[in-house]
Amino acid sequence: MFDRIAGSLERYMTLLGERQKLVASNIANADTPGYRTRDIDFQGEFRSLLEGGSPAVIEPGGLPIKNDGNNVNLDRESRLLAENALRYNLASTLARGEIRMLRAAIQEGKTS
Amino acid sequence: MSLFGTLSVSASGMAAQRARAELLVQNLANADTTRTPEGGPYRRKDVVFQSQEVASPFGSLFDAQINQRAVGVGIADVVTDNREPDRRYLPGHPDADKDGYVAFPRVNPAEDMVDLMGASRNYQANVSAMSAIKDMIQRSLDLLRS
Repeated sequence: MFDRIAGSLERYMTLLGERQKLVASNIANADTPGYRTRDIDFQGEFRSLLEGGSPAVIEPGGLPIKNDGNNVNLDRESRLLAENALRYNLASTLARGEIRMLRAAIQEGKTS
Repeated sequence: MSLFGTLSVSASGMAAQRARAELLVQNLANADTTRTPEGGPYRRKDVVFQSQEVASPFGSLFDAQINQRAVGVGIADVVTDNREPDRRYLPGHPDADKDGYVAFPRVNPAEDMVDLMGASRNYQANVSAMSAIKDMIQRSLDLLRS
C-alpha cells in the first residue's frame, strides 16, 4: 500500500516539475519571434507515466498567434505557474505524511 | 531532478530581458546625441531574441535520462536601426551641415518607453517563475527533514 501511494506521488511531482520547466521556458521566450507555447497533456501523461515513460511535449491549441509568430500568453503561463506550485505543495505535504507514517512505524517498533 | 535546470531557464529569460532593457535605456539616453565614435548621430539599437538550450550544471549527466531539454532564451543579434536620421534646421549648432541642418537620431522616446515597460514586465514574470520553482525545490528538501 505504501509503495503505491508514494510512487504515485513521486510521479505526480516529477510530472509537475516537467510541466513547470515548460512553463518557465514559455515565460522566458515570451518575446522570442516564432516561438510556440509548449505544454504537456497532464491528465493523459499522469495515467501513462504510472506505467513508466517520459511525457510528450505538445502545442496547446486555441492560442492566438501574434504578428511575430509567437503565441505565448503570459496570463495562461502565470496561472499554470501558480497552479503547478500549489499542486506540488499539496503533493509534497501528502508525501511528508507518508514519510511520517513510516517513521512512526519504525519508532514505535523500536520503543516497544 | 530537473528543477534545477528550470532555474537556468528563468535566469536566461532574466538576462535577456535585462540586456534588452539596457539597450532601450541607452537609446533613451542618446535620443539627442549627434556625435558618435563611428561618426554621425546615434542610431537606435534593439535585440533579437532566439530560443536556445540552456546549460545546467548537471546538464550533461541527466541529458540521457531526460529527453526534452529546457529551452531558455538568448540574444541572437543586436540590430541597429538604419533609418535615415531626423534632420532639423539648427544653423547655430556645431554639427550643422552647410545648409544648417543637424542630423539627430531617429529615436522615438514613446516607442522605447513602451518596450522598456514590456521588458520590465517580462523580467518580473521570469522572477515569479524562478521563485515558484525555488519554492518547489524547497518543498522537496523539506521532505528530508520533517
